[in-house]
Amino acid sequence: MALSSTISQRKHIKRRAPRGFLRRVFKRQKPHLRLEKHGDVLVHLNFLLFVHRLAEEARINACENKCGIIKKDHILAAAKVILKKSRG
Amino acid sequence: MANSYSPDSDSTTRTLLRRVLDTADFCTPRRRRSARISAQRALLETPSSRRQSTQTKVTARQHFHGARSTGRLVPGQASGHLEEQTPRTLLKNILLTAPQSSIVMPQVMMKPTPAPQVQPSRRESSQGSLELRLPELESPPTLGPVLLGSGRRKQRLRLSMFQQEVDQEPQELPISQEPPGNPDASSLTSSFKLTFATPLQPQSVKRPGLARKPPPRRAIDVGALLQDLRDNSSAPAPLGDSLRIPVATLLTDTVLEDTQPFSHPLVDHSASVYHSLPHPHPGPEDAERCLPCKQSIMMSKAVATPSLPFLGLPPERAAPPEVTEAVTFQRAVEPEEQERSSEYEIISDRPAVQHPLSTPSPSLSAEPPEPVLARLPSRPRTAGSRPHQDPHKAGISYYTKLFSFYAKMPMERKALEVVEKCLDKYLQHLCNDLDVFAAHAGRKTVKPADLELLMRRQGLVTDQVSLHVLVEQHLPLEYRQLLIPCAFSGNSVFPAR
Repeated sequence: MALSSTISQRKHIKRRAPRGFLRRVFKRQKPHLRLEKHGDVLVHLNFLLFVHRLAEEARINACENKCGIIKKDHILAAAKVILKKSRG
Repeated sequence: MANSYSPDSDSTTRTLLRRVLDTADFCTPRRRRSARISAQRALLETPSSRRQSTQTKVTARQHFHGARSTGRLVPGQASGHLEEQTPRTLLKNILLTAPQSSIVMPQVMMKPTPAPQVQPSRRESSQGSLELRLPELESPPTLGPVLLGSGRRKQRLRLSMFQQEVDQEPQELPISQEPPGNPDASSLTSSFKLTFATPLQPQSVKRPGLARKPPPRRAIDVGALLQDLRDNSSAPAPLGDSLRIPVATLLTDTVLEDTQPFSHPLVDHSASVYHSLPHPHPGPEDAERCLPCKQSIMMSKAVATPSLPFLGLPPERAAPPEVTEAVTFQRAVEPEEQERSSEYEIISDRPAVQHPLSTPSPSLSAEPPEPVLARLPSRPRTAGSRPHQDPHKAGISYYTKLFSFYAKMPMERKALEVVEKCLDKYLQHLCNDLDVFAAHAGRKTVKPADLELLMRRQGLVTDQVSLHVLVEQHLPLEYRQLLIPCAFSGNSVFPAR
């Protein structure tokens, strides 16, 4: 259980943006709009920064609760704050 | 004491004598010692132990303990005193002499003797104990089946005793082990062997298992071999293909209509190229096998693939005609390069299998499944597997991984789901915002300026931190080159403004 319930921190990660995915999502959501040439990369950057913020906030929450593991609640609390912050 | 003669239903002379002995025991000066011994025995033995168990214990002790260790040293003096002092000794003597006859009797199963024997054996001379022991050793075969069940408990006890004995007199070990060995493989001996040989038996158990295992491995190997054959046929293909592809591709159109035997390999070859490309696993095992006797085996493979039954390839048995055709063809065409030709053969013989679809031959029915198998694993891996995974989820999962990377902490698996939800929501928000910005600017395309504005509103881009800085910080060089205009040689700026 312990192994399956927790996910250890990632040491390495691909830095390659899933551009096709982003473009597809955008097209599905806003079929009438089109992204400019490298707009998807910027979207990726935005998304990345959001994830970064969210992760940091969640980590801070976990640390405040003296948890060694980021739990669901921490992320929920962080999401509440960050989603509000990153409104357009 | 109770356990020694607890079940006294039998009415042999020995039992009677025993009872007398036991009752008389309390009066004799030897009582203390016997009491002590009995106490020890009581500790060692489970109270509910049967008579037979006591028997075996007694015999065992006689082997190890009473008979040899104490028997020779003590008995001389002690027995002398005893015989003089008490009538018990007389009874014991009677007992000692009597048992031999009584044991020989068919009543052996009911033996009451053991308990009394224990006492005398310890107190009296070694000779008597020896005499006692021998008949008992011979008798066990009758007891054998009964003893087996209760043998294990005793073995432990014996082991403890045995260790003590070992400590006392290591020399006696071989002697004590001998008697069990002698008496014609009786149950006692078997029990002894069990005790001593327990480590050995598992090994013997393992060995057959080891002997059994190889066949399944071979069975697995057959499957692997099949794949390896395919891989091998596909892997080497690029080498030879680079040269041949053009020719093959040129010929394919014309050849497809021709069903001549010689044309097959070329067509097949071109087909196999397509197979091989998506499936570039050079079977390492195959390489091992092939390297030592490459040419011969390769040649033989091409020829033998039909006769591969020894490898367990039923489907390819049907192939022979085509393969032989291919072989003959190659021998005719390319006698010089044997390796290439061998690869070529394997390549050609399999496609030859596929090709027959257009030119039906008897072997076709059996063959087609193989190429299908070869295709199925290769294609879904490359292209099919990801779409099946639901691309949306895949993309989201990438960002969850990113999350766990940035979090720098272990996290719950449930938390990941929350992250996914959150990301989904944020994607919607993002798209809506971009839509609004673009609409506000009267455009239908989302420009980088919109994204910059969005990030400025989100507080990501500030006066101190420009978008380019963020790009430089967070994106790899390839994307930075796309986003940040930079002067290149030839007086040009790459992402033109």
